[in-house]
Amino acid sequence: MPDSSPPLSVRRRLRQGRDRLATVLVTAGGIGVIVALLAIGVFLAVEVVPLFWSSGATQTISQEALWLPLEVADDAVGYRWDPTASLAADEVARVSLVPLAWGTLEAAAWALLIAVPLALGAAAHSALFMSPRLRSHLKPTLELMEALPGVVIGFVAGLVLAPWVERHLADVLAMLVLLVPGLLLAGGLWSCLSPRLQQAMPLGWAGLWLLPWLLLVLATAQAISPWLEAWAFGGDLRHWLEVRLGLDIAVRNAMIVGMAMGFAVMPSVYALAEDALSGVPRSLAEGAQALGATRWQTLWRVVLPAASPGIFSAVMIGAGRAVGETMIVLMASGNAALMTWNPLDGLRSLAATIAIELPEAGPGGMHYRLLLLAALLLFVFTFLVNTLAELVRTRLRRRYRRLGGGA
Amino acid sequence: MPFVQELRPSPDPAAVIDFPPEASSLAIRELSLAYGDKTALRNLSLRIPRHRVTAFIGPSGCGKSTLLRVLNRLHDLNDEVMRKGEVLLEGEDIHATGVAVAELRRRVGMVFQAPNPFPMSIHDNVAFGLRLQGGLSKRKRDDIIEWALRSAALWDEVKDRLRASAWSLSGGQQQRLVIARTLAVGPEVLLLDEPASALDPISTLKIEELIRNLKSHLTLVLVTHNMQQAARVSDYTAFLQDGELVEYGPTDTLFTNPRLRRTENYITGRMA
Amino acid sequence: MRPDSGSRRRLFRGEGPGAWLAAGSVALSLLALLALLALLAIRGLGHFWPADVALVVFEDGRQLAGERVREVPLPAGMGRERLYRTGNRDLDGARWDWVAVSAIAAVSHPSDLVVLERRRWGEAIGRLTALESETGERIEGEAAWAALETRLAELATLRQARDTLRDEVILPRVRALEEGDDADRELAMANARLRELQATMEGGQLTLETADGERLVVPLEQVLRARRPNAMSSLDKLVAWGEGVWRFLSEGPRAANTAGGVWPAIFGTVLMVMLMSILVTPFGVLAAIYLNEVAHQGRLTRLVRIAVRNLAGVPSIVYGVFGLGVFVYGIGGTLDEWFFDDRLPSPTFGTGGLLWASLTLALLTLPVVIVATEEGLARIPDQQREGALALGATRLEMLTRVVLPMATPAMLTGVILAVARAAGEVAPLMLVGVAKLAPQVPVDGDFPFLHLDSKFMHLGYHIFDAALHGGDVQASMPLVYATALLLVLVILVLNLTAIFLRHHLSTRHGALSRR
Repeated sequence: MPDSSPPLSVRRRLRQGRDRLATVLVTAGGIGVIVALLAIGVFLAVEVVPLFWSSGATQTISQEALWLPLEVADDAVGYRWDPTASLAADEVARVSLVPLAWGTLEAAAWALLIAVPLALGAAAHSALFMSPRLRSHLKPTLELMEALPGVVIGFVAGLVLAPWVERHLADVLAMLVLLVPGLLLAGGLWSCLSPRLQQAMPLGWAGLWLLPWLLLVLATAQAISPWLEAWAFGGDLRHWLEVRLGLDIAVRNAMIVGMAMGFAVMPSVYALAEDALSGVPRSLAEGAQALGATRWQTLWRVVLPAASPGIFSAVMIGAGRAVGETMIVLMASGNAALMTWNPLDGLRSLAATIAIELPEAGPGGMHYRLLLLAALLLFVFTFLVNTLAELVRTRLRRRYRRLGGGA
Repeated sequence: MPFVQELRPSPDPAAVIDFPPEASSLAIRELSLAYGDKTALRNLSLRIPRHRVTAFIGPSGCGKSTLLRVLNRLHDLNDEVMRKGEVLLEGEDIHATGVAVAELRRRVGMVFQAPNPFPMSIHDNVAFGLRLQGGLSKRKRDDIIEWALRSAALWDEVKDRLRASAWSLSGGQQQRLVIARTLAVGPEVLLLDEPASALDPISTLKIEELIRNLKSHLTLVLVTHNMQQAARVSDYTAFLQDGELVEYGPTDTLFTNPRLRRTENYITGRMA
Repeated sequence: MRPDSGSRRRLFRGEGPGAWLAAGSVALSLLALLALLALLAIRGLGHFWPADVALVVFEDGRQLAGERVREVPLPAGMGRERLYRTGNRDLDGARWDWVAVSAIAAVSHPSDLVVLERRRWGEAIGRLTALESETGERIEGEAAWAALETRLAELATLRQARDTLRDEVILPRVRALEEGDDADRELAMANARLRELQATMEGGQLTLETADGERLVVPLEQVLRARRPNAMSSLDKLVAWGEGVWRFLSEGPRAANTAGGVWPAIFGTVLMVMLMSILVTPFGVLAAIYLNEVAHQGRLTRLVRIAVRNLAGVPSIVYGVFGLGVFVYGIGGTLDEWFFDDRLPSPTFGTGGLLWASLTLALLTLPVVIVATEEGLARIPDQQREGALALGATRLEMLTRVVLPMATPAMLTGVILAVARAAGEVAPLMLVGVAKLAPQVPVDGDFPFLHLDSKFMHLGYHIFDAALHGGDVQASMPLVYATALLLVLVILVLNLTAIFLRHHLSTRHGALSRR
């Protein structure tokens, strides 16, 4: 036993005091930070209240004005968003949030329509078929894709992609048409290859060696598009759309927003879906394969049902992101508050409206509070969607642990 | 400090002791413990002799590890724990108000099942507890570190690489490093929670030999599920089942001539 | 497994079409990502490469000199159209010219075509006919080019001297004067010197003959650079390219953000992100420690944890609204009433600014830091904590000496991810303090050196503004590409660092869990 000098009681009390103080500080700080974060919702709600319950100074607005169509002077009824319009004494304020909510949901729907199939396909491929080495590189690559700033994607979509698509409408259509047959043809050709070539180009690496094939398919599409246009659309697709279908075509439209936002949302959906698929206990999949199921059948019959809550939450998270994304919609949509089913026409979303109009709206006014109401809607919607997704995910994780727990 | 008061007779007649109360280092009195609504220890009383090795044996979930963790108040970390009864260290209640937990843990050291060296150098691992106390010159600290490593029979293996990461050591070496780290603080009691269960046979033998050597100046309490190990190294053995103390006595007696059928069944491997 | 001929058919039937569509979606996503990055890289970096200047002769004898930009087919097979950048905006009011390819008789690249970069009116393209010095001396022909090059080098030196004089001598004195110090005489002397320099720079002009025969007289002081791209070797061009990239990074914007560089935007972005990380790191770590180490792990904590996770998914614009309402109008307005009422009604802190932007982004990225740190803390085995406690450490000592050092990589990962997110976030900044043009960076020699109330430029907002609100979008496009490339590179590097750290972290803990 060494004769270590006994620790002084003063020092000991100091240590205890410091410990207690630190605990108090961490508790206070932690709670403070969390409260500050949660204050966002409270702030928005408090600021919006005067819109509906008059407190003297500010105008109040009825729920009908926000959500129901109103009679406008020129055409019979309609939803209008024009809060800064100078109104005659007898006119009702044009503050319908419906066109903005429409635009938000339409943009999100197109984005999901593009992102979800891509993301789920990619997730299925990387969870079941992809070689582990490629997979370990693909995940960080797609994470980088997720980190690309919205303003850059919006710029490319609005100023590069949109004019190009406008000029090459038929090419885009041809590409869409040829994409799926082109990929299936690749599969068909592959299975006719000699075993040696098949080994050189395994399915596990298809994500990479399909790239040149895809380029070839797209080039073919571009080559046949004039022929397609001449055969099916009387030589001018744009004219055909405008005259035969009566569609308005805007340069920056819902389709462009959908493509750009689909690109932006796809990585986060992929990441969560892949986690859900690869988290399914191996024993399940192996059990099915031992019974003679192919990997694709295994995916479809066993893995996908087991992982479906995870997939659902991935899609929910993607929806939350798409609804709130601002810069892409702002730069690629044209920001016209329209309500149409036409994917080639413009739209205006809640988030973009806030970004455009809030700096001009003076604090405390009706316009300001309306925009805060829009922000509150976004907040509540994304918060609910994310909570739902999170709850589903936690439950799923617990189920996996029960199922086989190996992973 | 000797005991001032006589222990009340144990409610369990099976606990036989052959040492005087003054020779007890730790005394446990009517201790009950529950996690939420799950009872882990039931009304347990026993005394642990000073400078001897006492082993707790029993089936998994019998509460032997829980009992060990109570002895240096690690159960405090879980705030759903309900406790009744008391634990005396040299006559003082370790749960009394005003007892500094950190100070108690310095006097009652603990070594865990899996080696848990910190991600620091070997030297810093052993110096960790000393630095917490402060007030030691570097020279003095280095002396203590060398002493502790020698006591843990590790010095010869690591003296040339004290600055290497502790995680570069083998499992057995890591466990001896953890023991050295605990010894350096100068505890009176050393609690060992299945210290060799994660180790290979040779490392296990080394640890057992170490335990036998350490009892010259330490009270050791060993939790093990390996009955040969208990028989090899311990002086007294307590057999626990379902949170109750079934039988307690000198190891020789308990293993060769158990008084109760339950004990005999467990020792001979005939479990109900 | 080597499939024999019998199983070959089975394989195709076996994996079926779904597998190929799945593989195709991986390829399609990668293709889109690669295309985006390639587009930014090629357009962004290509802009700085001195392009050849073509002399186009039309069928009708008209001539045009300019850089070929692109060629597109006209609708309905009406031939093709080509876009030239012709410069000389002061002569004909436009600097772009679309010409029908069919009308072109000949295209040549004569080496004597000169491209001038001017302070106003953008580029000028033509043949150098004469150079007049301030004394009226006139140089013509090939000698004029050599003289021009010498003179421009002199001018660059003079300009440098003038800027140094202004920034390092005059401006500090003016400030001293405002504070009542007696610096009059020195200031007068410096001002005289400045006027003298200015006078030396003025005078002298050159005459340019444009392709269609007009004469353009340009004062030499207006000319920043002159080059004859057709006469340059590849090496010369490479040097010019390097200089162009450097100027882009180090200079301020000119001509309503359609030319010049992005230095103030780089500076503003970096400064804002630094302030943000200084704010977010301690609070994020504190909250994570509270949630994981101190708080009672019950139902409430679980709910709070889910809520914090979800806040990471709340749209950034909502944070911007909160920042505007609470920081700018609420706190900033109050600060103005208390401390800056002499400047009201023009707001000091009651308007968007550096501080509010950093605070808003700190709030926005708080969940990222909390979640990452908490994951790092949760990954540390409890044995480590118990080991420290068993040696007599208090909880604070256990945290600071064992737990936090082990969680450092996770914390760093969180902060880097937060920085990467903040660097690319534009929407909230539009509400709380970004400026279209603020050539003065918010740090200077003037007390308090860092101006938290000033507006600042931001790379992301610069992209948005130049691309959508610029006067001549066509002209600013190359710079927008370059800015976008820069922003993406910054964010990629930050993310790669985070990925590397996380990888490092998981391997270390892999070693730990070895039993």
